[in-house]
Amino acid sequence: MTATTTTTRVTGVINGRERTLEVDNAALLLDVLRDLGLTGAKPSCEMEVCGACTVQLDGLPVSACTTLAVELDGRTVETVEGLARSDDALHPVQQAFLARSAFQCGFCTPGMIMSAKALLEANPSPSRDEVVHWLEGSICRCTGYESIVEAVLEAAEAMRDG
Amino acid sequence: MQILSDFRLHRPASVEEAVQLRAELGDGAALYAGGTELLLALKLGVLEYEHLIDLKRIPALKGIEVRDGALRIGAGATHREIETSPLVAEHLPALSTLARHVANVRVRAAGTLAGNLAFAEPHADPAALLVALGATVELVGSDGPRSLPVEEFVLGAYETDLGEDELIEAFVVPLPQLETRATYLKFQVLERPTVGVAAVARNGGAPTVVVGAVDEKPVRVEATGEVDAYVDAAREAVDPVDDLSGSAEYKRHLTGVLVRRALEALAA
Amino acid sequence: MAEPRSSGTSVPRLDGPAKVTGRAKYAVDLDVPGAAHGVAVRADRAHARILEIDASEATALPDVLAVVTAASLAPIDVRFGHISRDHPALAVDKVRYAGEPVALVVAETRRAAERGARLVRVRYEDLPAVIDAEEALADDAPLLHETHPGRTGDEGFHNTGGTRLAGNLCAENTLGWGDVDAAFEAADLVVEGEYRYPMLYGYAMEPYNATALFEEGALTVYSTAQHPYMVRDDLALMFGLPLARVRVVVPYVGGGYGTKSYTKVEPLAALGAYATGRPVRVALSVEEAIYTTRSDGAVVRARSAFASDGTLLARDMDIVMNSGAYSDNSPLVCAKLANRCFGPYRMQALRVRCRSAFTNTTPASSLRGFGAPQGNLASELQLDEAADRLGIDARELRLRNLVRPGEQILPGKRGVDADLAEDLRLLTESLGWGEREGVGFGISASDAGAHPTSTALVRIHGDGSASCALGATELGQGSRTVLSQILADGLGLPFEQVAIVQSDTGVVAYERTTGASRTTTLVGRSLLAACDDARRKIRELASELATEVEDAPGGVVADGEHLGYGDVIRRWFGSGGEVVGSAAIRKHGEFEQLPPFWEIGASGVVASVDEETGRVTVEQLTTVGDVGFAINPALVHGQDLGAATMCLGAALSEELVYDGSTLSNPNVVEYRVPRVGDLPHRVDQILAERRDGIGPFGAKGGGEGAGNPVGAAVAAAVGRLLGRYPRRLPLTPERVWRLAQEAEQRETETVRG
Repeated sequence: MTATTTTTRVTGVINGRERTLEVDNAALLLDVLRDLGLTGAKPSCEMEVCGACTVQLDGLPVSACTTLAVELDGRTVETVEGLARSDDALHPVQQAFLARSAFQCGFCTPGMIMSAKALLEANPSPSRDEVVHWLEGSICRCTGYESIVEAVLEAAEAMRDG
Repeated sequence: MQILSDFRLHRPASVEEAVQLRAELGDGAALYAGGTELLLALKLGVLEYEHLIDLKRIPALKGIEVRDGALRIGAGATHREIETSPLVAEHLPALSTLARHVANVRVRAAGTLAGNLAFAEPHADPAALLVALGATVELVGSDGPRSLPVEEFVLGAYETDLGEDELIEAFVVPLPQLETRATYLKFQVLERPTVGVAAVARNGGAPTVVVGAVDEKPVRVEATGEVDAYVDAAREAVDPVDDLSGSAEYKRHLTGVLVRRALEALAA
Repeated sequence: MAEPRSSGTSVPRLDGPAKVTGRAKYAVDLDVPGAAHGVAVRADRAHARILEIDASEATALPDVLAVVTAASLAPIDVRFGHISRDHPALAVDKVRYAGEPVALVVAETRRAAERGARLVRVRYEDLPAVIDAEEALADDAPLLHETHPGRTGDEGFHNTGGTRLAGNLCAENTLGWGDVDAAFEAADLVVEGEYRYPMLYGYAMEPYNATALFEEGALTVYSTAQHPYMVRDDLALMFGLPLARVRVVVPYVGGGYGTKSYTKVEPLAALGAYATGRPVRVALSVEEAIYTTRSDGAVVRARSAFASDGTLLARDMDIVMNSGAYSDNSPLVCAKLANRCFGPYRMQALRVRCRSAFTNTTPASSLRGFGAPQGNLASELQLDEAADRLGIDARELRLRNLVRPGEQILPGKRGVDADLAEDLRLLTESLGWGEREGVGFGISASDAGAHPTSTALVRIHGDGSASCALGATELGQGSRTVLSQILADGLGLPFEQVAIVQSDTGVVAYERTTGASRTTTLVGRSLLAACDDARRKIRELASELATEVEDAPGGVVADGEHLGYGDVIRRWFGSGGEVVGSAAIRKHGEFEQLPPFWEIGASGVVASVDEETGRVTVEQLTTVGDVGFAINPALVHGQDLGAATMCLGAALSEELVYDGSTLSNPNVVEYRVPRVGDLPHRVDQILAERRDGIGPFGAKGGGEGAGNPVGAAVAAAVGRLLGRYPRRLPLTPERVWRLAQEAEQRETETVRG
């Protein structure tokens, strides 16, 4: 029961694949994911307000910058890299972001897409206000947001029809 | 500069185990659940611990239920679980609404109500409403369980009555009787509330009004009679300070505005 | 040139698939093998002499490779700067602002470097600090630079107020004509006031980062730079390397908006690499980014003189900018603010003095529209106040005074290549001006485009497809897509047959900068010229293959036979081969007269105010994109809404706040940028395409204009709702609440006649 080391062996599923890793207790999920080459989630504010590092942990969106990597243990993590096998098989949220040009520099986009995907999994038919409320914690500095809200609503429709 | 110092991680499977760890490790250990407040403080170097006691694997801390005429919210319940709980929506819609507007969706997904209260950051939402609702907190430590009103649990900024070997098991909110109404209104310019006002009226009786986020801990407004009396009393009762959210004068003014709006919402 | 086929359509962005899948690599994502990590030790005080830097504890850590200081790097001169070479990458002898890098700890891991940075002990002797710009210009103010830095002499910055500088004066620009005092004397109405525009943090979401390595006698740097060639020049000078041996590579960039113009963090990485012989990566946090660059705050004292019929007679503007500890681009911002502060209005007399002051704060530099938003607030609000005083409709008053197409705003400069009156009509119609409450709007015209130097290389390949390597940076504005459209049309090829490589100074043609809304216009023109050159060469080859050769889309007609470019190339070479076209534009000929184009801003809002709390809600936003010709309309809309939203932030919430000499909000928790919930319920984006620009097919630049009038527009809307015009941004709820309180006590204004 008493831990004697500052590392922990964890086993969890990342983008559909089970992984066992020895991680520093003090390591952040964002750093561990990026060290694995999953650089879609981005470091930005580092204080849970911008959303650029958003990944899904057991389906819910979390700030990977302020989540311990040990939380991977026994859990499922999805990052933007896990959504599409190829450009011809994009997730409906990705497809809608593409169709609506709901990005410019693209730095917030992976986090924005993961947050939107989590919303649509929790609420397949969100109203515009619900989309806005959900994304309130995700900052985009380029677009002015309108195309992002439109893309999420469009993706919701596509997922319901699909 | 954001790095965490090394620490040992403990994952007790039961409340008893957690209490024992608390007793053993003393103030070198921090309780850890959602981490939304703790990890930020660790990253900023404001706090440093050699041990983290992860409470997320203790089944007894989970769940939201109605028991003995009260809503019992386990210490492990996240803001999101409270927001989406049908029981909370049915019995305490004001608490659902409050939870829905805590920070952002990621913080709500990870952060817990108990963590919020135990951290006792003054600029937070839940405490004021819990105080107004007459909620109690159930604690457990080496000497066994105890229970006290939330109002007495929060002592000041970042300060609570939580003993060194204790942890929070649950919050217990007496279920409103018929004709009870509750509301929580807040005004916010940055990431945390500038002013929050909770108002609860039971069976047409005099409302209980509590102001949060302004002082170091929730402030109960002592007044009777018309709305104006509450507004004046609230403005008197608070002791705001100047900060990036606004001057003391402005916050005192906002307190009055929100108290009036909260009472009007109750009456509506 | 033939009518374009690709240009004018909203073709999908080329960077889309990479960006929605997370595949797009930004500088912060690059994994340079063997890279060590550099973390800066930063000053914890605003102004102090450095007595000693004790790195012994840090260097004793097992993974720390070196602790680099300015002294340890001698004889390398660690200073850089494109206008004034006054900015040390690591503090020399003293620190001039809290947050300034004093040493760089290089270690095997980021964690070790951060640990090491915490262990470096610096002993200081405190000096008096000055934070306020006007106090900094006082005679007895603490002096930041004992020796005035002077100017580098770069032609592009010859107008940046570099003469007679002393004390803490970083730059001074004056401008004017006519007899100002006489005009004010004769005026029926004088509106007078002091306006304040906040210091801002651009918050490009990817903080500054760079990885540098020395190899084969050359320096390579991967970075977030908007202007890789300008960075190359600074680094070559610092390390005494030929330009050919410095390579700056910029992958995708996580936001620019001017904040990544010019050299930022690249010298730190390069100095770390120089000192250790290892590739070194320096990736800043947001807090460190805030301590790297902000925008210039400004205090504008403005007076405007009007005749009773609303004719603007004269303006007198006295401006002080808070420019921080080093020049960076502030002298150019100063020059632009002087040019942009009085608006696109006709007037018989003008006096402008704009001074940029060194203060013990984060160095200031470019941010979207620089100079324009600061000046526009005063300029437009005074028109609104005058309209109210004179009982003239605020739109009519502007229409009376706006310059007409072709008319000069600045004597000797290019006449206005826009129909501002028509833009204003489009704008006010959309806003329901005259019918609705809470409407505010504004107009601006900026001398944009920067120094018109651009070069392009176009290669037509053996299969007839074409590529181009150019130095304009894709910042998210969509330049890769737009320039590909122009390239396709320049050669008469389908969009799918062209490709563009950008922003690697080892590979691409020289480009001065990516900023000032210049890319579509100027790079577009050099690109078209390079296309012409390539087509000429194709015709030359074809004329060796046939007797009669004529130009045709995508190739030539040679002796009656249509030959694609690929046919010509393959036949001439026998196998493989390619044709290279090149071109340059410079301040010459068509581009002799500056600015290359005027960037127009015509934006407005409909707002409401909760007078009890002071909360302002923007219900509607309208932008008019007067871009001559929209090469890609969807991208123009994206730029306009993005610029307007950024300036809504400055209008309502964004402001860097100093408490004494300490920055109170060096993070995005307490520095609030617009969120999705701030998006106006209605957004109306209008395009005005009159083919009146100097760019491809009549295009001219956008991307900044739509934001420039937004601060004034919001302030005007709030002013109309409250009966009193605000004079300071941002309009935080508390400020608006106080304004509502004061609204009763209307201030006395000078009304004569």
